[in-house]
Parts: sequence; C-alpha cells; structure tokens
Amino acid sequence: MRALIAAAVGAVVAVLMAFVAVPLADQNGPTTAKPLLTSAPAHP
Amino acid sequence: MRQRLSLVLVALAAFLAVLGVMLRVWVYPHVVAVPDNQYQAVVLEAKDATLIDYSKMAGVPHQHVTIVETLKGDAGAAEAYQRRTGRSVVVWDALSYVLGNDGKRLSAIPEVYPFDAHTQEPVHCCGENVDGQALSRVGIEYKFPFDTQPHDYQYFDPQTRTSAPIHYKGTTQLDGLTVYYFEQTIPWTRVPFPKAMPDGVAITPQQIDSLGYQRWYTTVRKFWVDPVTGAPINGEEVHNEQLRMPPSSGMAPVTIFSGDVKIRPDYQAATVALVKKERTLLLLLRDDLPTGLPLLGVAALALAFVVEGRARRRTAPPTLPVASVADADEHGGAGETATAKGAPAAPL
Repeated sequence: MRALIAAAVGAVVAVLMAFVAVPLADQNGPTTAKPLLTSAPAHP
Repeated sequence: MRQRLSLVLVALAAFLAVLGVMLRVWVYPHVVAVPDNQYQAVVLEAKDATLIDYSKMAGVPHQHVTIVETLKGDAGAAEAYQRRTGRSVVVWDALSYVLGNDGKRLSAIPEVYPFDAHTQEPVHCCGENVDGQALSRVGIEYKFPFDTQPHDYQYFDPQTRTSAPIHYKGTTQLDGLTVYYFEQTIPWTRVPFPKAMPDGVAITPQQIDSLGYQRWYTTVRKFWVDPVTGAPINGEEVHNEQLRMPPSSGMAPVTIFSGDVKIRPDYQAATVALVKKERTLLLLLRDDLPTGLPLLGVAALALAFVVEGRARRRTAPPTLPVASVADADEHGGAGETATAKGAPAAPL
C-alpha cells in the first residue's frame, strides 16, 4: 500500500512538472527550433 | 531505513516513467514552436542565367543573378494576435530582392505570411499578402512542419498566389543528415507583374498590362528537408519566365528570366550547421528523454525490489532447524506456526 502511494506521488509530481514546464518555456527559448527559408525567387 | 529507501525508489521510478510520457505527449507539442521574432537571410544565385534587357526587349544569356531572401518575424503583430485569440502565431515579413550583374535591383517582392507557431497551419490575419495583394494561403510556405512526414503537402506558390501539391519523392542523405526530398512543378501559368520594376525601367506594371503584355511563369521547386525540424537544408528552383504578347500580334515570347537558382554554398553550409544544432534539442525532447526516462524508471524499480528484498532478509527471524520442526510436529503441530513466521512478509 505504501509503495502504491509512493508511486502515485511520483506520478503526480511528474505530471505537475510537465504542466508547469509548458508555460515556463518561452516561445523564443532554447527549446524552439529555428526554421530556414530557401528558394522562392522573385521576378527579375 | 532500507524500506524507506525502497519507497523513495518506487516514487522515483513512477516519476521518471510518467515524466517521459508527458514530455512526448504534452511538453513536446506545446513547447516546440517557431520563434516569432527571428531574422534570417539567405543568398541564392543563378549562374549563367538568361535575363531580359527591357531596352532591346530580348533575353540576354550568361547573366549572373543574385537573390537575397529575408525573413523577419513581426513579434508585435504575433503577440497582439495571441492576446486577442490565445493562439501562438508567427508573422513573417518576407522579401525577395533580386540583383543583376551590375548589382542593381531587378525586382523586390514583399510578403506577409502568418501561420501557427506549432503546426504551421496558415493563419489569416495581420495583413497577409503577397506584393500588396491580400489573399488567404492554403498549405505551407518556406518551411515544412516539425516532424515532417514522408507524404505530399500543399505548398503555396507566391508567383501564382495559389497552392499546389509538393510531392514527396524519397529519402536521401545530405551532409550527414537523412532528409526528405520534395518536388513541385508549377506549369506555365499567367502571373501578375511585380509592383517594383527593375531600376532604370520607367514603365510601370499597369502600362505593360495596358499594352497587352503578359507575364508567364513555370518552375520546378526542389527541397531537401530535415524531417525533425521541417527546415529545408537545401533548395533549388529551375525557374522560367516569359513576356508574351497577345496571339494576334504574331510576336514570339521573350524570356524575362531563365535559370537554375541555387543556395550559395556558404549559406547552405551555415544552414546545415544550424539545423544539426536545432534538431539535437528536438530529438532530445521528442525521442531521447521519452525513451530514456522510463528505462531509468524501470532500473529504479528493480533497485527498489533489491533493496526491499535485502531488508526483509535481514529482519526475518532464523528458520527453525528441520529436526526441531519434526519434534514440534510430534507435539501438536506447533511447527506450522514456526514455518508461518519464516514465510515472506506481505509484498510491497
């Protein structure tokens, strides 16, 4: 029983951490990926 | 003390396993986004291209054309839209600036391209346009979505202002990366003249239109895309444009531009280096941690069992010798009590 409670506590902490991480991550932070553009040549 | 340690290990195992799953299903799709304030420039070249000389109204071969493409994220517009709707968007102010042999401007086409920062679905806001013409895009442009799949996408063509499929043609290796190759062919299509005409050309697009001239265009667009970031690490266009007169005039079409446009090698190398850095972060969040953390959790759980097993062996009373049990049986089955005491305790 105590083991089940311990597992539940661990799981809940993990879920809370995941939920908190999203708003904390700045949209321009290190977890974003930079896109790159390529050719779309204009009319000369 | 050991039992407490095993409980901590069980909690840690659950924490790691659940965190691994949450990173993949919750954090990754919410955190991975295109930055809304980025500035990029890429230089492309068309060597040995054919280019129109408006004074002679004829195509001149062996020209070197340079195209500078810039993307500037309009963070103010993106944040204002997010405040209104709650949706993360990116608004790119793009410009294709074309230079001839002499370094003078041949053309400049601006665009405003708003899209969802996470999924890259087009968003119709913030003055979306191409060369001042308001429109509603369908599909993608410039970049592919994160976690690009090996199938066709709708790709927006800024010349025709329409979208058409860009076909997945296979997987290949490029500069040490596994990339998807996509190709789109735009057949000959009549397209509008750009508002900015070449430097030194006095005629306006409206005057050209009124003379009955038409601008026609075809291209084969090629992208080599890193599927993790969706970033094209190389691109090429076999691009042709003609000035056509009404059929009644009997005049043959004149080539405005014909060339094979490629990213300049130094920009391509820089692009590959950047993609390699960015994809490491994404792979960590998408694959490595979601796989590794649950495995660590399993290890922690196994360790918990080991610690708990040792604790029980230490606390368990010594088992009675067989002879004593037999003696006890002879005295009314007391041996059952002794065996029961030596039995394993209740499971964790």
